[in-house]
Amino acid sequence: MSVADDLRQLLTASRVLDAPAELRTYAYDASFLTQLAPRSPDAVVIAETVQDVSAVMRYANANRIPVTPRGAASGQAAGAVALTGGIVLALNAMNQILEIDTANMQAFCEPGVVHAQLNAALAKQRLIFPPDPGSSRMATVGGMASTNAHGMRAVKYGPTSAWVLGLEVVLPDGQIIETGSVGSRAKQSSAGLELTRLIVGAEGTLGVITRLRLKLMPIPIARAIVVGLFDALEQAGQSVQAVFASGVGPSAIEILDERCVQAINLYRPAMALPRVEALLLFEVDGNPPGVRWDAERICEVIGPFARRTEWSDEPARISALWEARSLVGAAVGMLRPGSNRAYCGEDICVPVARIPETLRAVQEISARHRIPIATYGHIGGGGLHPGHLIDGRDADEIQRVLRVADEIHLLALRMGGTTTGEHGVGAARAPYMAQEHGPALDVMRRLKRALDPNGIMNPGVIFDTPALPFEMPLNAPVGEPAVAPIDPG
Amino acid sequence: MLACIRCGLCLTSCPTYVLTLHESEGPRGRVGMARAVAEGHLQVTPDLLEHELNCLVCDACSAVCPAGVHMDPLQVVLRSAIEPEIHRSWGERLLRRLVFSWLFMDMARFRVLARLLWLYQRSGVRWLARRLRVLDLPGLAEAERLLPEVPRRFFTPRGESYPSSVRRRSATAAVPAGDGAVPAGDPAGLVSDGDAGSQVSIFAGCVMSTALADIDRATLRVLLRAGFTVRNPAEQGCCGALHAHGGDLRGALALARSCISAFEGSEGPIVVNSAGCGAMLKDYAHHFRSEPSWAERARAFAARVRDLSEVLSPGALPVVHGVDGRVVYQDACHLLHAQRISRQPRELLSCVPGVELVEIDEAALCCGSAGIYNLTNPVQSRQLQQRKLDHILAAEPSLIVTANPGCLLQLRAGLVERRSPVQVKHLAEILDEASAP
Repeated sequence: MSVADDLRQLLTASRVLDAPAELRTYAYDASFLTQLAPRSPDAVVIAETVQDVSAVMRYANANRIPVTPRGAASGQAAGAVALTGGIVLALNAMNQILEIDTANMQAFCEPGVVHAQLNAALAKQRLIFPPDPGSSRMATVGGMASTNAHGMRAVKYGPTSAWVLGLEVVLPDGQIIETGSVGSRAKQSSAGLELTRLIVGAEGTLGVITRLRLKLMPIPIARAIVVGLFDALEQAGQSVQAVFASGVGPSAIEILDERCVQAINLYRPAMALPRVEALLLFEVDGNPPGVRWDAERICEVIGPFARRTEWSDEPARISALWEARSLVGAAVGMLRPGSNRAYCGEDICVPVARIPETLRAVQEISARHRIPIATYGHIGGGGLHPGHLIDGRDADEIQRVLRVADEIHLLALRMGGTTTGEHGVGAARAPYMAQEHGPALDVMRRLKRALDPNGIMNPGVIFDTPALPFEMPLNAPVGEPAVAPIDPG
Repeated sequence: MLACIRCGLCLTSCPTYVLTLHESEGPRGRVGMARAVAEGHLQVTPDLLEHELNCLVCDACSAVCPAGVHMDPLQVVLRSAIEPEIHRSWGERLLRRLVFSWLFMDMARFRVLARLLWLYQRSGVRWLARRLRVLDLPGLAEAERLLPEVPRRFFTPRGESYPSSVRRRSATAAVPAGDGAVPAGDPAGLVSDGDAGSQVSIFAGCVMSTALADIDRATLRVLLRAGFTVRNPAEQGCCGALHAHGGDLRGALALARSCISAFEGSEGPIVVNSAGCGAMLKDYAHHFRSEPSWAERARAFAARVRDLSEVLSPGALPVVHGVDGRVVYQDACHLLHAQRISRQPRELLSCVPGVELVEIDEAALCCGSAGIYNLTNPVQSRQLQQRKLDHILAAEPSLIVTANPGCLLQLRAGLVERRSPVQVKHLAEILDEASAP
């Protein structure tokens, strides 16, 4: 009997897939790594109930079969792909908002709820779940919790972990637990170890999240946007420092580099942005007079550094100005027709003060490897997303972009930052964890072994360097000969 | 296909993914499977074919894709390539041959069939067929329910020209492109200078000019009242969309060539009142891009194609009568997603006094009609139809307006089944009624 046959006997409501074509569609996420090396699981379970999740875990644990929990697989780090085969546990059909408790400002929902759907439902009650990964239309709240997603407003509201009050988790042996105190609706607690925070960001390596208790807040009544254009990256950096020193606390600060600005001009010529090294967007939220005061204050503070500033609290103008930021992902492709984004080395975070220096270094790496990179990011928190453009059919470019990713990861560590600011480690950044964490990685491994002694939960992610069918050029000195990748199919 | 970055942004826009939540029933999965087949990593299996053919080709995924993946042409090529692999009974093969290679290829034959349908509906044979339960064969009753009441008079293109009913036109024929997706400017030089009698040609269509000929005539009247001189080129026929999406690309291209030729004698915009046909006609440039003798002709043709709502500017039509009540405008996928047109029909409707436009939930999700999808995939089609009707009726409209024959018939059939008094009309019909002298 195959794994799929076994599973079909165990489950009641959930569905089991094992046709090769279907399995193939679960062989990748958005990462460049799984584009090079897609890996089909042995079976997919479309989970519908916590009991079925528990049954799958008991079976997998007893038979030492790897299990990879999966939300929307919109991740860019190969964190939701069965890299060593086994079962993909798809949680996207557990997509019910179970309760919105307006009096206690919290929501209970299943992990497959899509972020935009949650906030649309909350908006009817004038409430919001503030973490916003930007990928709101596809990301699931389970995936957001598993990767501890941050997003554009993290500079004011913090990461997902700050908004998760409790979880229902199925442990690798099938046991169902509730973190954050059983049956609690309290908004804070000092009772014992914070297991909620341990599971959030664990990328499905410790257990499966089957329900979330999320903290909410009222939707801000007003927003305003300030746009600043800068001739030099350093002036943009100084502006951010100056704004923080001025006492204004923006809800988002975004940066677009020179290439991004070029890309937007190609995509929407009507925007006619001047040639500048950096564009900054500051968002402030709160009450109407407050946001106007904040916006004017920001203009005043950044004025000496900027070539031009502009602000607005008109909703239509705000969305037009935000458009520059939201277009970037699509627009960078315009820099090089026929090429695609390769998601690798796409999520570093460095100290805010070192952003201009880091951006210059990224541009140097780009030029040296002849791979165009357009970088944008959440400068308020130090997060940067270098967008590499390559021709995916060119084996040499594939090698070069892997080197670029490697160098960017090492650059981030050298700057005193991290290889992943908000997307997660996955398999893509697992090779850097020893360098990033030192002996702390071993403590993480001990925790992992305590909860998952058989090592069945999402192997190949975070703790161990994954076994890949091609060689990753890691820590490679410049100019080393290329290694041809293999697509195993 | 190579452009897909697998970000998953398309998932929640896809009707079949929304219904099943299976990755293989979503755009990212379909592109992934097609690529795996092309690269030799997957065999073409019956389940793979089923997932691909379950696609409605509604283009909702293309509309949201940040990487520019375009599902429609991908499905067209794929379906033609896999057609030989699909197991069909000899009866089904015969029917396909008859419909695709014989019936649609010649409008004279098509009109004969439409006339027979008219006879069937009027002569008492339908009454008899229903009484004798002849329609109990699977799928037949469903198909029969979707048929419109065929009118007595067809709208047969004979190369005639209709003079504008306005003596001196004011600036009416601004030709806006889609909602900003199409580059601004006017490659075909179609923007009216405001002088009397700008010329347009009407694309009459196959189903539109026969079974729904009243809508074609309403379209003609509206264009004339808006100040256009309208030509109705002879020799035009079916646009080929059903062939292209049904795995017969050769047939589609043959029809496309004759359409291109038919309109070459005329100038100005080619006005279409069927969203599905309009999307296909605008895609001609793509389909012939690597055929040297046709590429330029197809490009010139496609650049002239405009939906009715693109050539009429609000205020251009003399509105005389009002319509009282709540109106739901049902976005046809091939207008909203494929042609990026959503603003213009709403603006036109808003010009009619008394119209209270109401928006519905999941407005961008297909109603399940999708060409002949309601016949090939009745299960999913019905689920989507019911979902759409639930959302529409929750808005408590007195009238539903759409700009595509498929949506029109699909919603009408569903409303009749629910015994709902709510009417479904084509945009041209409403504008015709409102501007009737």
